[in-house]
Amino acid sequence: MKAQQLAQPSGYADLSRPLKLLTYAMLLVGAFSMALPFVWMVSTACKPPAELNTFPIQWFPQQPMCMENLTELYDQSPNFNRYLLNSAIMTLGRTVGQFITCSLAAYGFARFRFPGRGVLFALCLGLLMVPFQAILIPEYMLLNRLGWLNTLTALIVPGSFSAFALFLLRQAFLQIPIEFEESAELEGANPLQVLWYVTLPLSVPALAAFAVITIQAAWNDFLFPLVAANTPETRVATIGISLLQGERNTPWNILMMGSFLATLPMLLMFVVLQRYFIEGVSLSGLRTMR
Amino acid sequence: MRHAKRCSWLLVVLLFALVVSVAYAQDVPVIGAQNCAEPGNLTMWVWDENWARVIGSAIDVWSEKYCPGATVDLQVQPWQQYWDLLKTNVAGGNMPDVFNVSQDRFFFYASNDALLDLQTYFDEAGVDTSVWGSGMIDPYRWGDNGDLYAAPVNWDTIVIFYNKDIFDAAGISYPSEKWDWYGFAAAAAALTNAEQDIYGAAVYSEYQSGYPNWIASTGIPPIVGPGRTQCTLTETSSLDALNFLKDLYDNGYMPSVSIMGGASADDAFNFWLAGKLAMVSAGSWKLPTALEEATFNWDVVRLPRNPETGRTRSIVHSVGYVASANTPNPDLAANLIVYLSSDEGQRFFAEAGGVAPANPAVQQIWVDSFGDTEVNIQAFIDATEDSQGVTVFDEIWDKINTELVVNVFDLGVSVEQAAQDACDFINTQLSAVR
Amino acid sequence: MRKVSLPDLPEVSRNIMTIALNWLGRTPLTRRRALWGLALVAPNVLGLLFFFGIPVLNAFITSFQEWNAIKPPVPIGFANFERLANDSAFWQALTNTLKLLIFAVPVGVASALFVALLLNQQLRGRGIFRTIYFLPVVTSTVAAAMVWTWIFQPRYGLAGNLLSPLGLRDLNWLTRPDLVLIPIGIVMVWQRIGFDMVLFLAGLQNIPRQLYEAAIIDGANRWQRFRFVTLPMLSPTTFFIVLLSVINAFQVFDQVYVMTARTTRGGVGGSAVTLTYFMYDRGFLKSEFGYASAIAMVLFLIILGMTILQLRLQRRWVYYESEGGV
Repeated sequence: MKAQQLAQPSGYADLSRPLKLLTYAMLLVGAFSMALPFVWMVSTACKPPAELNTFPIQWFPQQPMCMENLTELYDQSPNFNRYLLNSAIMTLGRTVGQFITCSLAAYGFARFRFPGRGVLFALCLGLLMVPFQAILIPEYMLLNRLGWLNTLTALIVPGSFSAFALFLLRQAFLQIPIEFEESAELEGANPLQVLWYVTLPLSVPALAAFAVITIQAAWNDFLFPLVAANTPETRVATIGISLLQGERNTPWNILMMGSFLATLPMLLMFVVLQRYFIEGVSLSGLRTMR
Repeated sequence: MRHAKRCSWLLVVLLFALVVSVAYAQDVPVIGAQNCAEPGNLTMWVWDENWARVIGSAIDVWSEKYCPGATVDLQVQPWQQYWDLLKTNVAGGNMPDVFNVSQDRFFFYASNDALLDLQTYFDEAGVDTSVWGSGMIDPYRWGDNGDLYAAPVNWDTIVIFYNKDIFDAAGISYPSEKWDWYGFAAAAAALTNAEQDIYGAAVYSEYQSGYPNWIASTGIPPIVGPGRTQCTLTETSSLDALNFLKDLYDNGYMPSVSIMGGASADDAFNFWLAGKLAMVSAGSWKLPTALEEATFNWDVVRLPRNPETGRTRSIVHSVGYVASANTPNPDLAANLIVYLSSDEGQRFFAEAGGVAPANPAVQQIWVDSFGDTEVNIQAFIDATEDSQGVTVFDEIWDKINTELVVNVFDLGVSVEQAAQDACDFINTQLSAVR
Repeated sequence: MRKVSLPDLPEVSRNIMTIALNWLGRTPLTRRRALWGLALVAPNVLGLLFFFGIPVLNAFITSFQEWNAIKPPVPIGFANFERLANDSAFWQALTNTLKLLIFAVPVGVASALFVALLLNQQLRGRGIFRTIYFLPVVTSTVAAAMVWTWIFQPRYGLAGNLLSPLGLRDLNWLTRPDLVLIPIGIVMVWQRIGFDMVLFLAGLQNIPRQLYEAAIIDGANRWQRFRFVTLPMLSPTTFFIVLLSVINAFQVFDQVYVMTARTTRGGVGGSAVTLTYFMYDRGFLKSEFGYASAIAMVLFLIILGMTILQLRLQRRWVYYESEGGV
């Protein structure tokens, strides 16, 4: 909160009143279309079976039965909490893993000259360009050969490396004036210390973006966990939810209740992390030194 | 209230099951379970959690009574990704020992010699395979001798679900077993109420629930002929059936695909559940949904008869159990499949309600699982009398199912043109597999 | 018989050492930095190459084979690629993909930038708005598909009712071959905005306020400040987002899959089939995994070409605070 008062949002002086109203109007129209499917998900999660089929779409349940549907979800999917826990473990593991491997690598690519730098970076980027469906079978075979199928290791370790996060953080590091790091090096800090004490604190907004995207991607990952680990003990929430969809019959209210539960942690995560998309105190402090 | 009622019915059903099981215990079973020669470990795949529960309890009894020491690793995969995952595992050399297939997907595994021939095992167990209707198991025969490669788990047939309230409002009497296409068309016309946005019928949807039933009633196998050699959609009787449906659509008695939001059987059925449709064709698997979600009075009746042939034919489909050709325990896998098809193993399905068990010995238990409903469940069973198995395989299934329907019932393409396009594609596919 | 003289071993190793050292850098300092650099990038690079490089290599080998996942693979040389060049379905998929890309990338990036700029202001309820714009990223795809199908349903749908003054209420958006790409493109943009917004918001924080203050002193108006301060200072972020959006658009699959799953599964006559969908269809549905891998390799080459092009072009418009762009 303090930070918000200290640092004005970058770029613009305060908006005039008509501009502000216009901004709100535009934001509201956009927000409406952004929120519609979410609203439908929540309202369907509370609908009794008799209200599931209406034309045109029905936005609010006449006789809401949220708690009954919640109970029914756990009746149909008794391990659902376990799935959520597995999702959380996978997400945490991958995020910590990527934070370590990708911030190191991004720093290496951004600030050091070494033979093969361009080729290695291009190789990593190249892996982003092959659609995952194309390597689904070889990926399965690899995990099979490692003996990792149906283990938490398979869910966490391969996902701890990322070309996307590497690229994201490298772009962020390149935008930091190099003088701060150089002065730290002159004082005798080794590269790890520079990264930890200078570069990372200067990259808080980018790290927040990294966290939002990595956490979200890990939490919502479906295809990889599906081939890697699909037993009641290792199943993640996305797969648990898809199991509620039958061949012939889908209880939409239960399915949406499961989806809603699985979305809540992500919303919480975003609400917390979006606060870091303001000019940080440390950053503006350092900047004035220039 | 409802729960209490359901519980008491469950009790009655259980009691009944007990009585029946005692009664059957003295009779010769239709399919008897056998002791296994040697216990071992099996992996098994299914795509439905409810099924997994039912099969799981059956397997518990099997491993206790007939095969002590045997273990089965029963895995549930999501339906939407089931076939992709299966191929991934097969490619990685990890085909499950026992798994579920559908009639359209069976072809790929059978034609690549990936499945275990079950015929000898059923012969040894003294099973007369004619207890299953031909529509149920003909698609599961393979090879020069027509050996059985899959044991049917269940069956489902197609009937007309109709909204009694709309019939009452239009002042029309309910359909009877004897009705024919003309009677159906007249009813659809009279039931359509444009002002109230109510349509007479939607019966054209994708494969099993839709138009192929009408083609079958003319007496030819729908879409692909016997032996999977020729597309039949361009034959006169196919075109006649499609044009009959197209006329209903052109007259506004049937909604378009886009109006219903999709060409799948589910889309049409949900439209019916919403009270927008007087009649819809759908399978027995929709019984539980209709019982739970319909907010109006309804019943079911067999599909109308073709006026020329006098026949009413239903597409029948049966999920099958198959075993991998490379399983290290073929005897054990076959023994488990025989058990799951036996009177004893199938009882678990029958009691759970929902899908109809393939084994006729436990049929009544399934009927009774619905309690004292007014719904004419017998119609589904009668529909098995003259039924037609699924003749297409996956490539054709995926492509043609919906594209033909969309072309004719949404985009205004003529039946002749759409059928020709479909046959061009299908014949290419058929020659590719030959 | 000639006598073979063994080379002086220490000398050889010294030579190798010198070559290796020179390869690393000319001075001890640059060598040290080069070693640090290699050490820093090693974990991620090795991990990526092992867990994803090996499968990609496998797919590359498969692209020269005929393989249906059950029978052993048969090497067939370049046959898959020759077939691909003559497959009209491939060219159709490529055209569809490019159409979606030309719509979704500019519209998506511009909308995300616009939203990010608005939500970077000091506004009441800013956090709530940001969260709402992020919702599509976390909403279940199944729910999104249901609602979007309804939106584009004739008669009952939102789109038709909004367009009904123009007489366009009853368009069959999701089945007509000439229209089906429009809803798919819109859903692509819809799902991407929140994602790109996050990246833009992060990028906007890196612009020093002093630059704006200086611009105001120089008398720059709002547009000029945006044009001459925000845009150039944001260009590394914009570049990153454009690059990823292009890659993402080339790989579009989910939106096609869910928006056509209930009707035509890829559009009538393949009118909605994209490259990745085409690959999925030939691989998992038709069990032609060799052919599917060939499609993947061609798709990879196309994306690679686009990426190299963009990396070349970036020097003209991307501004880095410090040296080091590739």
